[in-house]
Amino acid sequence: MTIADIDSLGNEPLDPDADLPDEAKKIAGRSPTQIALSRLRGDRLAYVNAGIILFLVLCALLAPLITTYWPWGKLSTAGDFTLVDPLAGNLPAVGPPNHGFILAHPLGVTPNTGIDNMAYLLYGLRTDMFIGLVATVLSMIIGIVLGLMAGFSRGIVDRVITFAIDVFLCFPFLIGAISLAPIITSHYQTNESALTKAQIVSLICILVFFGWMGLARLIRGYVITLREREFIQAAQVIGAPTRRILFKELLPNMAGPIIVSLSLTLPAFIAAEAVLSFLGIGITGSPSIGQIIQNATNYYSSYPLYLYAPVLILLVLVVTLNLLGDSVRDAFDPGTRR
Amino acid sequence: MRLKKPIVTLSAGLLFALAACGGGGGSPSPTAQSTLKNISTGGAAGQGQNPNAQAPAPPIPGAKSGGTVTVLSALGITTMDPTDSYYLNTSAILSGLVTRSLTQYQYDPKTKQMILVPDLATDLGTHSPDFKTWSFTLRSGIKFENGQPVTPADIKYGIERSFDRSTFTLGAQYSNQYFLHGDTYKGPYKSGNYDGVTIKGMTITIKMAKPFPDMPYWGAFPAMGPIPPGKASDPASYKNHPLATGPYMFKSYTPGQSLTLVKNPYWAANTDPARHQYVNQWNMNFTTDAAKTDQILGSDTGSGKTTLTIDNILAADYQKFSQQDASRLVIGGQPCTFMWYPDNRQITNVDVRRALAYAYPYQAAWAAAGEIQGVTAVPAWNVMPPGVPGRVQYNPLPGHTPGSTDPAKAKALLTKIGKLNYPIKFGYKTDSPESVAVKNVIEQALKTAGFDPQPVASTTANYSTDIVANPKAPVNVRSVGWCSDWPSGATWLPPEFQSTNISTDGFGSNYEAFSNKSVDSQIQKIQLLPLAQQPAAWNALDKQIMTKYFPVVLTSYGGVALMHGSQVQGFNDDTTNGMPTFKDIWVG
Repeated sequence: MTIADIDSLGNEPLDPDADLPDEAKKIAGRSPTQIALSRLRGDRLAYVNAGIILFLVLCALLAPLITTYWPWGKLSTAGDFTLVDPLAGNLPAVGPPNHGFILAHPLGVTPNTGIDNMAYLLYGLRTDMFIGLVATVLSMIIGIVLGLMAGFSRGIVDRVITFAIDVFLCFPFLIGAISLAPIITSHYQTNESALTKAQIVSLICILVFFGWMGLARLIRGYVITLREREFIQAAQVIGAPTRRILFKELLPNMAGPIIVSLSLTLPAFIAAEAVLSFLGIGITGSPSIGQIIQNATNYYSSYPLYLYAPVLILLVLVVTLNLLGDSVRDAFDPGTRR
Repeated sequence: MRLKKPIVTLSAGLLFALAACGGGGGSPSPTAQSTLKNISTGGAAGQGQNPNAQAPAPPIPGAKSGGTVTVLSALGITTMDPTDSYYLNTSAILSGLVTRSLTQYQYDPKTKQMILVPDLATDLGTHSPDFKTWSFTLRSGIKFENGQPVTPADIKYGIERSFDRSTFTLGAQYSNQYFLHGDTYKGPYKSGNYDGVTIKGMTITIKMAKPFPDMPYWGAFPAMGPIPPGKASDPASYKNHPLATGPYMFKSYTPGQSLTLVKNPYWAANTDPARHQYVNQWNMNFTTDAAKTDQILGSDTGSGKTTLTIDNILAADYQKFSQQDASRLVIGGQPCTFMWYPDNRQITNVDVRRALAYAYPYQAAWAAAGEIQGVTAVPAWNVMPPGVPGRVQYNPLPGHTPGSTDPAKAKALLTKIGKLNYPIKFGYKTDSPESVAVKNVIEQALKTAGFDPQPVASTTANYSTDIVANPKAPVNVRSVGWCSDWPSGATWLPPEFQSTNISTDGFGSNYEAFSNKSVDSQIQKIQLLPLAQQPAAWNALDKQIMTKYFPVVLTSYGGVALMHGSQVQGFNDDTTNGMPTFKDIWVG
């Protein structure tokens, strides 16, 4: 929200008489989501962030097209030994750090293997975004369903779910991830094509496993306050089925917190994916940003661009997603703003 | 001998190095090809033994006493029990600085090779004509770090311990293989007294079950040294503080992580033909990140000036160091040969094996594995690497330059014998990025050369047992490295090419399943030749096997690129293990 909004709100009572009924009717007719979106529309930072994210998403989605139709030559993730200079400690024979930039490999190539850095980065972005998005959606669904159930059903179900939430919240994420990751992938170690899929599935599972509790607890809290409200009681009195009360009466009232949680979970998951890949327990079969960073750390002094490019992209992605998430939260919940 | 990193354990005498198994294809760039290096062949110069070396060791010109040297490594460290130390790093540190044994190596600055000289024994031993009895006369006046004199009984106890395979699982097995009753005697803790070693005055006599002409080399292992009998050497605690007989003793030791050595007051220079005691103190850390080590050595300030590393520098830093600090970079050989072992039971046509040698993407595979071409991976010619006595370089495949890839020739050869699209099944490790990268390179190169590559996925943990050592693995090529325990053809040709009974004993280290009666009988004959004639005979057999049968594809020799600070002097490559010459180091 911007200052202009507050001003306009403050100015409303001073408005001339004739238009007042229309304005009042218009405001009264808007849902909380619509109000939030109108606040968001006035947020210039949100536009900038959304633009950057849209650009990165397009880059990731169009990775096969960009790499195939790159005007100065196909960008390949297959690797080409002729691009490596064995006499320079296997550093690239073209492009940075020892030679000038060339358009055929705009970000240079990897040491040792001669893979095009930009192609690898684009595909890595794709993997990271895919995993982040799927894990976010899945953990949302689990969190919402369990939160609704816990909040609405008093008694044993609530207590069991609350206990589960507490247990999962107490569990240290990294230890859990490091110990769980091999369980799924170890079965597929001797089958290369299945291994790549298994790694992605296992990573998504780990992120969901440790990512649903926050939202579940939030939803439970909202449900507990809402379920005593008149409209819910009215629905119960007229005999609406529980399913209808949960999903048609309660859920729409919680669109705000859900969207806010979504916009903040997504960047957290993308960062977590990179961390896990960096630690060697994430993706190894297909490109990922964490993996590039892991490979590049030894080159921080001799080939800095190799390390900086993926770090910068990851930083931009996570920061813009977070800032956009902040804007969304401000729009839905102006009370948290200072 | 085992490589520094305790990843895989193996059968006697060798090290499984993680020889590359595959990498990214393409043809090598012209610059790369024109500058392929060949490491020196100094080993051909002589036998590398000097039974008459006298104590004390000749002083190093200009060497000064004092100073503290820091040793950095990222690879951790296994046990420090002399009987159990068989990794390159533990045995180099123990033999170089802490524990003495029957014999030892001395660096010869003229030939840049290591020479076998006496240590606790006054010479390199005397043997019966059939090499089945060895006698060593011990020096007097040797003391442990606690002032107790070293007696022949202590040496006998050390030898007895070296039989115990269940207590000392990592140790070398030569005592079991060659010594009398080696297969039944289980060490002093289970079998009590050993009757194969007898003591008469200061002379100990060892009886063998079969001829063992290389006994003086086995005598240079820390396991062949004095260990006080009884409680003093309880295996549970002795590994944390082995009693020093050499110039330095343990001050503090955190297992696997760090070690501080200080001067041993009871070591006397006039009893030791090779060791020096210039440095005051050694601080060793085995858990320092490789990138950090390179940074410390690259900046060369403060204590970095007196720091050295026993690991290879990162390929990423090689160019910088070799240009700016070439005087502090020690490049040398390591007695390792990495091979692609075609399964000779399946790939029976010698020309298919030759085509493989043309097709293998040597340089691309080294690069993908992160090796530094010409430094840590050197084109291989003979089976025996430089440094093995008697080695005279030859080309096992005339028409092929070692280390170069020629897909056209491979394809032409395959077409000629009608074996185009011959399937090549080889293993790789899905959980090792280097291994996957190497696999990609090999796959691409074999395809270009007219083979049908079929990689078989495995893991780092299972690769050795499931693929390499398993005669029934679904592969027809195995990739391993072999490092010798001492510079002699006897640690190369018999283990690599002597027939084994695969159904009962497995490959041993004959991973190509090569079996040839004439080669077997020649190996047996050479082992009984007089020592002086053996080196040349081994080299001739090496050449004969490779040119006639071409059972293996030689991919590279190992090498080291070690770095030290500007004040560390006397640092050379110990070619028997690719470690620093600890005995000669001083601070200047």
